[in-house]
Amino acid sequence: MATLRRLREAPRHLLVCEKSNFGNHKSRHWHLVQTHYYNYRVSFLIPECGILSEELKNLVMQTGPYYFVKNLPLYELITPEFISTFIKKGSCYALTYNTNIDEDNTVALLPNGKLILSLDKDTYEETGLQGHPSQFSGRKIMKFIVSIDLMELSLNLDSKKYERISWSFKEKKPLKFDFLLAWHNTGSEESTMMSYFSKYQIQEHQPKVALSTVRDLQCPVLQSSELEGAPEVSCQALELFDWLGAVFSNVSLNNEPNNFISTYCCPQPSTVVAKAYLCTITGFILPEKICLLLEHLCHYFDELKLAPWVTLSVQGFADSPVSWGKNEHGFWKGGEHLYNFVIFNNQDYWLQMAVGANDHCPP
Amino acid sequence: MRGAGGAAWAASPFQPRALRASVRCRAGSGLQRRGRLWNRVLSALRAPGAREFQDCGVGLNAAQFKQLLISAVKDLFGEVDAALPLDILTYEEKTLSAILRICSSGLVKLWSSLTLLGSYKGKKCAFRVIQVSPFLLALSGNSRELVLD
Repeated sequence: MATLRRLREAPRHLLVCEKSNFGNHKSRHWHLVQTHYYNYRVSFLIPECGILSEELKNLVMQTGPYYFVKNLPLYELITPEFISTFIKKGSCYALTYNTNIDEDNTVALLPNGKLILSLDKDTYEETGLQGHPSQFSGRKIMKFIVSIDLMELSLNLDSKKYERISWSFKEKKPLKFDFLLAWHNTGSEESTMMSYFSKYQIQEHQPKVALSTVRDLQCPVLQSSELEGAPEVSCQALELFDWLGAVFSNVSLNNEPNNFISTYCCPQPSTVVAKAYLCTITGFILPEKICLLLEHLCHYFDELKLAPWVTLSVQGFADSPVSWGKNEHGFWKGGEHLYNFVIFNNQDYWLQMAVGANDHCPP
Repeated sequence: MRGAGGAAWAASPFQPRALRASVRCRAGSGLQRRGRLWNRVLSALRAPGAREFQDCGVGLNAAQFKQLLISAVKDLFGEVDAALPLDILTYEEKTLSAILRICSSGLVKLWSSLTLLGSYKGKKCAFRVIQVSPFLLALSGNSRELVLD
């Protein structure tokens, strides 16, 4: 019986849907966008739109750059020069490239100056640093998390703690990784990562942008006040979430119930829009850039528009050690952590946050 | 569902959502010798690309692909489980890759059937599951496929 039961089990997952209004002072939308640090894919869909405005197009084209550094020793991220040049003068993000969180050692630098190391057991023991077991380890602990507060360390560089960490990264267990880096400069100075890491193989990259227009798209009818939908009147938030995935994956939306290949169809009630604009940006995208996009889409309805709503979806890196804030993130059968805004023409919004098995509840 | 300042949750983490598991996979025919086929599967895992299986020689349309999946589940689990509602949401004949949709309770059965399917019409083949997620939106991008020169 236990075997039969296991055959029917699927990894757990969680989808949180909430609604609010951008004018509501309790609305948490900015906080949630800003604390989702490592974003791989941003996409938006605008029904009844054939051409993007110049302003929005410029925003889309200016979501970069980000940087790729090969074989960067980890001690370079804890030097006083790096901390004072990048961490104290803006928001610096770093994430190891091509490391699987469930198999390999992974490192991430959060914009608040916290360096998170997700290490396997052997590496953790070899570094000699203090950490804690991963919350998704299971009975046999194979993964350890070390968190280093670089801002606190920079206050006293002669401390024993800083000496131990430097000794560990330089002598005891020198770790090197390929990193994705990005920096949001809040000051007026123009130190750049390209010149700072010039002695390593640093490359500048721009996120890839894919724009397309879809004709005669079936869209679900939504009511901003009804998250759970109303029979024959509007669709549920869950149905919209799936429909959005279908649109971006080029799934056919008008299959008959007796179709052999697929029975998926657009949730009802639905309406056909003559055209819809789809945009997808992939790369290492900063929350600050996403905030600008969100702000622009909030004001999309300042002028009269045919579209009843627009959507903005953001997908995080499957191998980042955190999802929102300091919430630990892992990879079980999948490493999804994503969120989606549905912005209505009356400034109401729906926010859907989805996580997988090795994740905490979204904030 | 939640309103601003509310505390209710949308879905219990222990309540599987029906019809919400999606599997993205590729299938292809390999060479006759299983040793070399295994190497090909391994190399494709590290660097998935359009030309993973060059010696295919076998074309499958969407209906044949679905029939192949149904027969795989039937061989392993029988007639009843072969009748699980399975949708092929997308299918690319050129790359033999697809996005499948199955109910949560059928995920393990479908996945294990794909794993153990070794041949089609006498030709050796292998399925590789690239992504699994309860959210179709998560399958529209895969950060593990980010390639930088």
